[in-house]
Amino acid sequence: MTKFKTLKFTILMVACLLITVSTVADSEYILLKNGNILTVTGDNIEGGDILIKGKLIVKIGKGIKPPKGARVIDLDGKYAMPGIIDTHIHIAAEGNVNETGVLMPTEVHVKDVINPEDYTIFHALAAGVTTIHTMHGSANPIAGRGIVLKLRWGQDADGMIFKEAPETIKWALGENPKQSNYSTTKGKRYPGTRMGVEASIRELFEEAKDYDSKWDEYRAALKKGKRPLPPRKNYRLEIVNEMLDGKLWVRCHAYQADEMISIMKLCDEYGVKLAAFEHALEAYRIIPELKKYNVAISGFVDFWGYKWETFKTMPYEFAQLAKNGIVTAVHSDSGTRTRRLYIDAAKMIRYGGATEKQALEALTINGAKILGVEKLTGSLEAGKQADIAVFNRHPLDPYTRPEMTIVEGKILFDRKAYFAKRAEEEKERKRREAEEKAKKEAEKKKKEAKKKTDKKPAKAKKDKPGVN
Amino acid sequence: MKKVLLLITISLLLAVPGFAEKAPNGIFIKNAKIHTITKGTIENGNLLVVNGKIKAVGSDVKNEGNLPELDAKGMDLYPGFIDASTGYGLMEIWSVPATLDYQEVGDFNPDVKAAWAYKPNSIHTGIGRTTGVTTALVNPSGGLFSGIGAIVKLDGWTIDEALVEEDAVSILNFPESPSGDDEKGKKAKLIEKKIKKIKDILKEARRYHELKKLASSSGRHIPYNQKYEALGPVLEGKLPLIVNVKKAEDIKNVLKFKKEEKLNIILKGCEQGYMVADEIKKSGIPVILGSLSGGFGTAIPTEPEEAYDAVWANPGKLAAAGVKVTFSTGSPISGKDLPFHAARAVAFGMDREEALRAITINAAQILGLDDRLGSIETGKDADFFLCSGDPLDLRTEVKHVFINGKDVDLSNWWEELREKWEKRPLK
Repeated sequence: MTKFKTLKFTILMVACLLITVSTVADSEYILLKNGNILTVTGDNIEGGDILIKGKLIVKIGKGIKPPKGARVIDLDGKYAMPGIIDTHIHIAAEGNVNETGVLMPTEVHVKDVINPEDYTIFHALAAGVTTIHTMHGSANPIAGRGIVLKLRWGQDADGMIFKEAPETIKWALGENPKQSNYSTTKGKRYPGTRMGVEASIRELFEEAKDYDSKWDEYRAALKKGKRPLPPRKNYRLEIVNEMLDGKLWVRCHAYQADEMISIMKLCDEYGVKLAAFEHALEAYRIIPELKKYNVAISGFVDFWGYKWETFKTMPYEFAQLAKNGIVTAVHSDSGTRTRRLYIDAAKMIRYGGATEKQALEALTINGAKILGVEKLTGSLEAGKQADIAVFNRHPLDPYTRPEMTIVEGKILFDRKAYFAKRAEEEKERKRREAEEKAKKEAEKKKKEAKKKTDKKPAKAKKDKPGVN
Repeated sequence: MKKVLLLITISLLLAVPGFAEKAPNGIFIKNAKIHTITKGTIENGNLLVVNGKIKAVGSDVKNEGNLPELDAKGMDLYPGFIDASTGYGLMEIWSVPATLDYQEVGDFNPDVKAAWAYKPNSIHTGIGRTTGVTTALVNPSGGLFSGIGAIVKLDGWTIDEALVEEDAVSILNFPESPSGDDEKGKKAKLIEKKIKKIKDILKEARRYHELKKLASSSGRHIPYNQKYEALGPVLEGKLPLIVNVKKAEDIKNVLKFKKEEKLNIILKGCEQGYMVADEIKKSGIPVILGSLSGGFGTAIPTEPEEAYDAVWANPGKLAAAGVKVTFSTGSPISGKDLPFHAARAVAFGMDREEALRAITINAAQILGLDDRLGSIETGKDADFFLCSGDPLDLRTEVKHVFINGKDVDLSNWWEELREKWEKRPLK
């Protein structure tokens, strides 16, 4: 190759590369056109467009021109809202989520058992859910840590973790930790009352403080030039100390008003960050206290009556909390309820007259606040992650159906494409079946033909594998 | 002071016209948009109710006998919804055994009756009717033969006042095929064995009744068997047998079972019914669908190969194939959600009018009560409700519920709590 030719080739190559690069860059754009945009934090836009670049929303408005090479999707009047945030669920975790062997296993972490192939993740996606908080169970007064996942379906466990979300830890009060309805140990184990539940927590806090001061003494001794033995490392108590430093966001399962008040006072006393009460079916009774201690509610609108502590409730709670400025998010706690959270949110309107906006907030931005990711997701705004749920009707309409779910700019659920693919697979399956059948018949015919011409019994034997 | 109060009360009672005598037995509803279900919609309709029955309905119907009037201008009137299988009055709090009466111990309880335990004053009844549910099949569950279900109206001070039919259905839980391949026919054999167990029970029950007949004809007596006695009407086809079944292959087994045993069967659940819709249609058997919402029901496909929305699309597909379907909630705790299951089915392909028929006239027909319930027609029970808007929309508030012509008190546990706690000062 001559020098000139080499240069020419190089230029060609570079040009090719540039073209490829530029088309790759261009195809990072998706333009959702002509939809009813429910931004949640801003005004609704009828006949609006959303421009996505890569993982982010870059523009929302009317008549947005598609950048060169952009994939344009006509929403045709469908509704686009922020991806739903499910603040409390236990899916995508391998096996049991209750560590019942010890009373307060703060050292365990749901992060270690993420199952990115759990099909319930796809079910949630197909219901417009894009972010979940998957948690330890409620068997322990203080349990393990939970993890916030962005439903990047198809990625591995690490790829699903919502890394910007603050770390959380699960607490539980009432019937579950006091084992009212079941027993993991034959007979009784402490605690068996709400008193014992709180006493256990306090004792653990004090133990952690003792542990911390041992380390302080050790470090002080080191400073003085002594050579002390270091205290034995205790992972459990170190996590407790993170809690006492306010670094871990506590998510506390509780139903009854009185135990919630008591725990708010305790958290205030020890400087623990109590982010939200979970389920909290009696929260409507303690609105002033929730305000005073700035605690959010992540709960059910009208799921009730399954335990004594879930009986003294009413679905008007959610509307009342929202009207009084308590950050309130609708959660599922199950792989089936997460598939209809938008229906649950609509019940806020029927019971207590919440506004559409309040109901949508409970599905999106409020959950984001509880998870500490409200600057990244939870509303449709330029600069936020492109987590979008598209519905054929208004998401609070009784006949609505999720049509498409976008997670960080990637379409991970598309109802139309899903059924097209299934039809294709079905066609292929039938084709193979027919092919196999034809093949078998041909073989049969061949055998019969052979039998006619060649009646040696030895041959026939040979055709039957496994006879000998 | 007490005396004064008593005096005031007495004079007030006397002041109410007609109270001292007999209260006027009826009501005249005027200017409602009447959705009759079976005979179209009457835009500006009047409804005359006398003695708990619909005496007349139409746009030119007049008030007879000076009955009290209710102007329903701007309101929609629908026949009361029917929950075709639930547990009102048999369950208060799911995890508190003292409040549970829906499942007897053991597998073989065809003789236990819901009517013997039904509590008409259950907290869930009061909440259930706030979405327009007026009638429910209340049945025992669990085991193989669960017992006998009763049909009740969601009103009445006592069971007798609530009861429509004491012996409405018998319940059978059909064996479910295990999932996975069945290359060696092991699975089929296992199911065959389980079905044979049911058939053997029926055979024994038949023998018992034959023997009893034989004995009585010769003036003799055989020992009383309460369980076989309870199966008697089932064997004669007089008492419908609700068969709980989920998977397509098991549904086929039930169809075969029905043919062989010649029973009056109603299918329930049928999550994979859509796969064998034509066969169900051909058999003429109706289907009571289970809850579509999860929680206490099923919303996840029975097998992973199914489409993600299989359970929700199933009702529409069955109805489109010509199968008569209705809905049920299965649990009184979510009993008020009955209309929302119908809406869910509509969201995933069911015709809306068909969904409305499902929880009204279809349910009445399936339960054999279409001469009394399920539509707004002359001669039927005056069970209906008034709302402004679509009753399948969970945002629509039901304003009045009438059961047997009585304007039912809609106050309930939830309302009580709200009223009490709204009194707590917020500052």
